[in-house]
Amino acid sequence: MSGKKLKNGAIEEALNRFLKENETSRLVIGFEDNESGVCLRAFKGHVEHYSLFCPVFSINNTLHIRRLFSKGTKIILMLRPCEIRAYVELIKLTQIEREDIIAVSIDCPGTASSKDKIDAIPLEAKELVEYFTKNDKMRWACKTCRERRGIVGDAGIRIGQDGSAWAVSYNNKGDEFLSLIDGESEEINTGMLLVESKKMDKFQSEMDRFQEDFSKCIMCKNCRDMCPVCYCIDCVFNGDEYLPKGDALLNRIMRSGTVQLPQGKELFHFIRMYHVSQTCVGCGACEEACPQGIPLTKYFKGISERLQSMFSYMSGRSFEESIPYLTFIEDELKDAED
Amino acid sequence: MAEDGKNKNPEIVGFACSYCTFKASEMAGSLRLKYPDGVRLIQVPCSSRVDPAFVIKAIFEGADGVFVAGCHPGDCHFIKGNYFTRRKIAALKEMLDAFKLKDKLRLFWVSAAEARRFIDKVTTMYNEIKERENVREKA
Repeated sequence: MSGKKLKNGAIEEALNRFLKENETSRLVIGFEDNESGVCLRAFKGHVEHYSLFCPVFSINNTLHIRRLFSKGTKIILMLRPCEIRAYVELIKLTQIEREDIIAVSIDCPGTASSKDKIDAIPLEAKELVEYFTKNDKMRWACKTCRERRGIVGDAGIRIGQDGSAWAVSYNNKGDEFLSLIDGESEEINTGMLLVESKKMDKFQSEMDRFQEDFSKCIMCKNCRDMCPVCYCIDCVFNGDEYLPKGDALLNRIMRSGTVQLPQGKELFHFIRMYHVSQTCVGCGACEEACPQGIPLTKYFKGISERLQSMFSYMSGRSFEESIPYLTFIEDELKDAED
Repeated sequence: MAEDGKNKNPEIVGFACSYCTFKASEMAGSLRLKYPDGVRLIQVPCSSRVDPAFVIKAIFEGADGVFVAGCHPGDCHFIKGNYFTRRKIAALKEMLDAFKLKDKLRLFWVSAAEARRFIDKVTTMYNEIKERENVREKA
């Protein structure tokens, strides 16, 4: 693996160089470190106080660029691997126009939940890793992350064991990004700080446990709205067919008898679980958005990993792999029939 | 609606491809073959028209079993529809398996000429579900 070594401030310099080239049609989307903490910024014209890491996860930031089709404005995305993976999935689903976007994934040492109270969290990779080993603040979704290394997207920023940062390119667009950075490309000799994630056990649950966990659900549908890959404009749950309200609900009850209200919890979560099964990146944005603190990630991530492994697929791993439900092999799944 | 004390008769929702399985069921009718009353067929233009959401909706709104039936792989009227069905339903089965609901869903391949096979498959499914429900009721 070869890449360019990033000196202190080199990345900010490179991004500023990119923005200066054409002030009216250039954009950098990345994290900014200001007084109130680290947050996502779309930088136009000039980058300041740039931060590689954002140690607090509130939403999956790919949500902002969903349905971005305009050409002509060059954009560099500097996001976490889970966000870049969601971006790759959305490209496959033709929800983003890829042409003018350079997606750079940054090694992610893990994140804490925005729901927790957090004080004095460091912003350096090595210190962050230490911070998360010392306490139990890391989100469950991050603990079980499938790909925390910045090896997805067009280019990646990898952190070496000695704390040095490296920019690595994965395709033509990545080369374009690397050309912004000073210095020569060289072979990377140091080991990387983050290694391949461990495989999770096959997910297994049962209805009783599911009902217990979801009994608190108030059907606000925040999990759907905050999911980066739940992209349908015309969601099946918006009409009266699946989740009837008012008159339609009255009709349903008169026809089929007593129901618990809010009605359709299993229906809603099962259908959503299936619909995102092949594209779920396991970022945990649904759980973060849930006002009731339901362990959604456990179910959505578990199911999606189980279903993706059926087709040896991993969401967001590469631009070329097709989503399993959109393709087939003639000679497979011989035991599907009963 | 089942009455108390009586053995409950299961209700099965079946999604049948209009080119194969639904034709097979019509042929079964003209041959005067009988299949259980609890089986309700829904005609779909192709088995790949069945969004797994339909199956999940049927299961959670009270069906004791659901089956999806289409042409044999390779014989689809729309050339490759049932290959997609196979992937989708296999994945759905895996998902239901994670919640121990796998026995509620089945996938059949029945061509238009296989009326007897259709009757056989449907009756077996009906009897198995009925037996299981009765065992559960006794327990």
